[in-house]
Amino acid sequence: MSAADRSLPQLAELLYVLVRKELKARYKNRFLGYVWALANPFAFAFVYWIAFKFIMRMEIENYSLFLITGMFPWVWLSVGVTGATRSFIVNASLIKKVNLPRAILPLGNVAQEMVHFGFALPAIIAFLWFAGEIRPNASWLWQVPVLLALQVAFVYPLALSFALANAYVRDIEYLVGIGFSLMFFATPMVYPISMVPEEFRYYFELNPLHAMMQSWRTLFLQGTLDAGHMAYAAAFAAVTGVIAWLLYRKLARRIGELV
Amino acid sequence: MTPALMCEDLWKTYQRHRAIGVKSLLLGADTPRETRFSREWALSEVGFEVPRGRSFGVIGPNGSGKTTLLSILLGTVQEDRGRVSLNGRVASLLELGAGFHGDLTGRENVFLYGSILGMRLAEVRQRFDRIAEFSELEDAIDTPLRTYSAGMVARLGFSTIINSPAEILLIDEVLAVGDTRFQAKCHQALREFRARQGTLVIVSHNMKELNEVCDEGICLELGRVVDAGPIARVVVRYQERMAAMAPGKAAGGAPGNR
Repeated sequence: MSAADRSLPQLAELLYVLVRKELKARYKNRFLGYVWALANPFAFAFVYWIAFKFIMRMEIENYSLFLITGMFPWVWLSVGVTGATRSFIVNASLIKKVNLPRAILPLGNVAQEMVHFGFALPAIIAFLWFAGEIRPNASWLWQVPVLLALQVAFVYPLALSFALANAYVRDIEYLVGIGFSLMFFATPMVYPISMVPEEFRYYFELNPLHAMMQSWRTLFLQGTLDAGHMAYAAAFAAVTGVIAWLLYRKLARRIGELV
Repeated sequence: MTPALMCEDLWKTYQRHRAIGVKSLLLGADTPRETRFSREWALSEVGFEVPRGRSFGVIGPNGSGKTTLLSILLGTVQEDRGRVSLNGRVASLLELGAGFHGDLTGRENVFLYGSILGMRLAEVRQRFDRIAEFSELEDAIDTPLRTYSAGMVARLGFSTIINSPAEILLIDEVLAVGDTRFQAKCHQALREFRARQGTLVIVSHNMKELNEVCDEGICLELGRVVDAGPIARVVVRYQERMAAMAPGKAAGGAPGNR
């Protein structure tokens, strides 16, 4: 029963109980549990809608739909990675006192935020329908899971790398928090990339976060898979995946004495 | 027959600045001096083996490396030099409630802890009735763990590992919380565990308990093995050394007592 020799079903069950623990702990004793999971992204979208559409009167078609379809995947990405960055510290007793495969802890954060995203999907679809008259498409039944898998592959290497780095240098968790605040505005999230001055647009297109977010928007708003952006996001996931794996092999052994 | 657990010439040093921050990176770190809790080697030249079905005690003063040793055996801390080999499924109880979550019920925590220890959920389900019965928590098994006393948490933790399919148990000073009757029950369960060829390594400051449970043991001081052999002898010599070092004794009577 040591960490090294766990089978895949064992790991899957461990991930399941860890995620269920977090979800239960979060929603127990909360009457409006499910509503709270939705409130945050909707509230942010609403604030930006007021600021840009109502006050600054930006001329963007379907601005509220644009905001909502980007906001939920962004929350999964940013909350998942920031939470994962702290996961070794928060779960210090699991790291030090029981022998479990450490890589599963940040994966737990990523999975947990994916579950929240999944819970929110009906609300997103309802919003698209009522506010934008976009009918859910039967092909979403396989297209959404494809993007879910892509986003897990995209988020997890970042989550694992930052978690490892944070065990060694605790300042990382603050840098990651600030980084996501900055990236939120550096990534076309509240403005479409078409508004970026042409000479800079190329650099904005290089941002892999934009590729991932744009893949979701294209699916929800145009009903198709955005092959170009998806391929770029997948390539980024592959590169960071290799980096995260190397870091894990090099750094994971020592974290038992660092947290 | 290969021993259930063996370690050879273990050396371990901790980096004395445990987590580096930007400040220490920029300003450089000063070198701390050697003290009881801050010395170069947390463990040096530690080696022993425990045959299958035997029970091994580790004693020593605070800061002598006992928990480091158990952590290395478990694999949560990496040795610098030396070799560890364990033959069999391992379960650990190094900290009361490690892996438990206060908002989950006792029942949910058993499944969580079992899975963390490496059991399949089906295995936990199959053993759950025995675990619940052993813990004697009765109805409390379905109330959140945060309402439990320390003793109740200890019962649940011990019940889970003693009913797990582990062949090697590593236990660090966690039995002390249960009441006398439950402790007696734990000792009985540990004897039965050994009777089924289970192997036990236990760290404790309770010499009576060690005498009762263990066959052999070692005494660690400043990270070195200073004594090894039958547990009763190791315990007696340790107590003699400690008595000689006790404050007041060395000065020849209580100071200020005229």
